[in-house]
Amino acid sequence: MTTMLRELRLSLNQTQRVRLQSALQRLQDMASLASAVTVVADTIPVNHEDSILKGHGTSDLNGEVVATLCGVVERVNKLVYVRAQRARYKPEVGDIIVGRVIEIAPKRWRLEINFSQDAVLMLSSMNLPDGIQRRRTAVDELNMRSIFEENDVICAEVRGFQHDGSLHLQARSQKYGKLERGMLLTVPAYLVKRRKQHFHHLENYGVDLILGCNGFIWVGEHVNSNGGNDMMVDQENRGLVNKSEVGQATCEVQEQITPLEIRKHVCRVANSVRLLCALGFSLTVEVIVDTVEASISSNTDIKDILAAEFYVQTAEREVQRRVSLTRRKG
Amino acid sequence: MATNPSTYALSQSSDSKQRLQQRRRLFQETEWTRSDGRSFHQCRPAFLRTGAANAASGSAYAEFGATKVIVSVFGPRESKKAMMYSGTGRLNCNVSYTTFSTPVRGQGSDHKEYSSMLHKALDGAIILETFPKTTVDVFALVLESGGGDLPVIVTCASLALADAGIMMYDLVASVSVSCFGRNLVIDPTSEEEACQDGTLMITCMPARNEVTQLMLTGEWTTAKINEAMELCLDACSKLAEIMRSCLKEAASGSS
Repeated sequence: MTTMLRELRLSLNQTQRVRLQSALQRLQDMASLASAVTVVADTIPVNHEDSILKGHGTSDLNGEVVATLCGVVERVNKLVYVRAQRARYKPEVGDIIVGRVIEIAPKRWRLEINFSQDAVLMLSSMNLPDGIQRRRTAVDELNMRSIFEENDVICAEVRGFQHDGSLHLQARSQKYGKLERGMLLTVPAYLVKRRKQHFHHLENYGVDLILGCNGFIWVGEHVNSNGGNDMMVDQENRGLVNKSEVGQATCEVQEQITPLEIRKHVCRVANSVRLLCALGFSLTVEVIVDTVEASISSNTDIKDILAAEFYVQTAEREVQRRVSLTRRKG
Repeated sequence: MATNPSTYALSQSSDSKQRLQQRRRLFQETEWTRSDGRSFHQCRPAFLRTGAANAASGSAYAEFGATKVIVSVFGPRESKKAMMYSGTGRLNCNVSYTTFSTPVRGQGSDHKEYSSMLHKALDGAIILETFPKTTVDVFALVLESGGGDLPVIVTCASLALADAGIMMYDLVASVSVSCFGRNLVIDPTSEEEACQDGTLMITCMPARNEVTQLMLTGEWTTAKINEAMELCLDACSKLAEIMRSCLKEAASGSS
């Protein structure tokens, strides 16, 4: 087997290598129907009798449908398109995304979200920390840095495209906003599928997991969505705290330190996501929780989640899972 | 006092020039064996891999004999320079050499012109209309310069672009031919390049039979040009097959 340069550097011993190979082979066999890999300028076989729609990543050359991307050919009814594996994220309205603030511009924040352009979050399209609906004043504009600073990680929703193709976001709910005390992981965007629920609270571990559609994944300490808002208000008011409340304030600061146990859980979940990403499996909350549980039950150290043995085990477990799925269907 | 007042020693460069002349005379003969044992119309074995750099959107590594090149592609990302609206994307290419790329440290030339030549070679192959307002950056780094650098850079760059998931009409393959008197030598090494009479480089899209760039230096006859072009195009189409199999392997390996 050729070793890919991008994958994790693993030192597999002989038996592990054989096991991994057979597991990957079985996965490939099972998926063989679905995936037909194409390379740029390959002809995509289509039945010309049927009318077909040429989708993304295809073009026309002498009456033949030709791929302009490397990836997997997908067919949905009449539509034929190529899904690239390492392409950037393509936003759709309503997607929940995680992004990083890179610039504060007049009345807006610019966010890096793994799209070909920066996304824009307008001051007017987010709830103010005090929770009152009102016109945004010049004072609010001056105080923008107290809400989000550069390099803050925030969570928002795709609102839509402007006429010039730029992307606008909104954060009109308690659940959106600044993300603190956790880790941001970046994975290829195709690994995250659009689902009903992207916010997950893993209660057993006290960890919040946000699967951003853009391939940015947030793993952090659990915050109550209401409490999160209170915290923001606190931040606003902190300057006004008078001396009699200092004792209370220090108490609060104590509370803000993440306990070691939670930190370990965050790392464990994060490493599980990294592992699944390296194996190229779709990231759903079920699979992630499953991997975390397996790592705990097999007494795998947090750092060893990314080591050879657990890597092979995870591949084998995925085979089992898919086998049982197909059996249930059949 | 010495009998010969040697104010100036015989300069080193004239000595090496003499050696060069001698070697050139050798190359003018009809038959000689190439330093790596290839026949005249045989390319160096190509080693290609995608995913050489983790931070980049797409990257590739190419090794043709002694020539080793790594190319990283960033983007498409927001244009920082031109904030004006433009319907098409921009392509930005940069070729640089490491200090240890040549046998003598820091003695190689920068090859400033390579950046614009790489841009020209790739410009026609990328569908720039698909990413308006944005820029794609292509950074090529020559780790070791062993001759035929530009063809290797172009080939590697198109592989990196494909890896980054950027829409292209076709892969771009590139091969150069050197002319020594009556002989045509494909894929020259740097030693051969130093003594060549002329060179021809073609970058083409084999599946479409389109040439994106052609570079010709030195004295050529029309018949020779035709012969050299045939040779190049044939090699390009074979190189493209290797590139395809590399991409296919990468795609099926990670899914």
